[in-house]
Amino acid sequence: MATQAHSLSYAGCNFLRQRLVLSTLSGRPVKIRKIRARDDNPGLRDFEASFIRLLDKITNGSRIEINQTGTTLYYQPGLLYGGSVEHDCSILRGIGYYLESLLCLAPFMKHPLRIVLRGVTNDQVDPSVDVLKATALPLLKQFGIDGESFELKIVRRGMLPGGGGEVFFSCPVRKVLKPIQLTDPGKIKRIRGMAYSVRVSPQMANRIVDSARSILNKFIPDIYIYTDHMKGVNSGRSPGFGLWLVAETTNGTFLSAELVSNHQGQGAAVLPEDLGRNCAKLLLEEIHRGGCVDSTNQSLALLLMTLGQQDVSKVLLGPLSPYTIEFLRHLKSFFQIMFKIETKPCGEELKGGDKVLMTCVGIGFSNLSKTLK
Amino acid sequence: FPEPSQVVSSQKLGSENLIDETSDIEDLLREEDYKEENDYSTETSGALKWKEDLSRKAAEAFLRQQQTTPNLRKLIYGTVTEDNEEEDGDTKEELGGLFRVSQSASECKHKADSLDCSRFHVEVPHDWDLEEVMNSIRDCFVTGKWEEDKDAAKILAEDEE
Repeated sequence: MATQAHSLSYAGCNFLRQRLVLSTLSGRPVKIRKIRARDDNPGLRDFEASFIRLLDKITNGSRIEINQTGTTLYYQPGLLYGGSVEHDCSILRGIGYYLESLLCLAPFMKHPLRIVLRGVTNDQVDPSVDVLKATALPLLKQFGIDGESFELKIVRRGMLPGGGGEVFFSCPVRKVLKPIQLTDPGKIKRIRGMAYSVRVSPQMANRIVDSARSILNKFIPDIYIYTDHMKGVNSGRSPGFGLWLVAETTNGTFLSAELVSNHQGQGAAVLPEDLGRNCAKLLLEEIHRGGCVDSTNQSLALLLMTLGQQDVSKVLLGPLSPYTIEFLRHLKSFFQIMFKIETKPCGEELKGGDKVLMTCVGIGFSNLSKTLK
Repeated sequence: FPEPSQVVSSQKLGSENLIDETSDIEDLLREEDYKEENDYSTETSGALKWKEDLSRKAAEAFLRQQQTTPNLRKLIYGTVTEDNEEEDGDTKEELGGLFRVSQSASECKHKADSLDCSRFHVEVPHDWDLEEVMNSIRDCFVTGKWEEDKDAAKILAEDEE
């Protein structure tokens, strides 16, 4: 019961990943009850079970207890071990669902993590592997996580409903993180992106590119959208196409947007022209929100600021997403850290909506399990 | 807040008041003024213009701070819904001592079991075909207007001078 005393208790399946990730990093056990307790199909889903199995693979000595109906989960974290791992992700969620948490944990492993993930690389719910590669990796580099072995590669592209994608991720380990001072996003100097297609006509990608350019060209001339058509065994098991766009600023901020076609047997077919135009508009929305960090990576930035050295870190963000707000609450309960939050009204400037300046002093988290060489 | 007339009168009395106050900055200002004795009173009032309405400016800044910051802070840290170990409310409402009335998912319950996703969806999209909406982000791009100190054209012009 001694460990039970300082375990944290939550209800419901929402925010499961951030609770388990913060539990692992802080070493505090966590108990989650009433997981879909009132649902017709109660308890943990396949994709959550798969996530817990993944945590078990990359840690050493974790204790996981799930009750018979799967509505209660007790997790006592072990040590982050890392090493070479393979994992088959559930196709109910994209690989991005798993990768987001791995990005939080990978810098603090005992051995550098080298992991092969199989599943769905691009879906409509989670941030795709492409977008995480284009936005989260540069963000980690700001904190001093860099090196030759820092890599995220899409080996095979897998779309719903069949999946069959494969991703390789490797990340070096760090003892301490650098504090960041990202208060000025700078100005957008170029827009890059990729229109991808698998098991459909390669012409689809070209049609997407043309329509997306027609909107973005009104703002900036430096646009290049690559087309990517994976073939044969690298194209997964299902047809589909999509587009992701990234706006890069003079100060190294990456803002992203993406859209994926409806998958086979899911509603009406999407015209590539519409997809391109809508995705371009989503990028404009993201630019309107602004800040130095993409809206999907807000929580990653805040986590790494918290875990940084005992020094002041600052970051300018766009409006906080509901996920980030909950993450801030969790950071408070796991690490007893509260951010200073200042609203920065946009005023007369033509730079989109209001921004938020987040400031904190890192807790001086150091990776004690990292082997010394 | 001090009345405007009071502010003016205090400035006229400037020379005496300044001697009383022993701030370093004011001493410096005074030393400069002694060099031009003839225009003394007008110079002082000009030099101390920044002091006018200081309390009003401070009060405004404070109110602004009060209006924005704590709200967001309260939104995030104020309403922490702690999870109780006890089953609350479930046991109370029973029908005929046998069936329990299942409380339809309240908003909190609904949120607790909703989708765990980090994407921040756009709830009310802007109409990006409108010129004014497009203009609202114009300066986020290098093609837009730059700040005074970063404007390349202006810096070049200054260098040439």
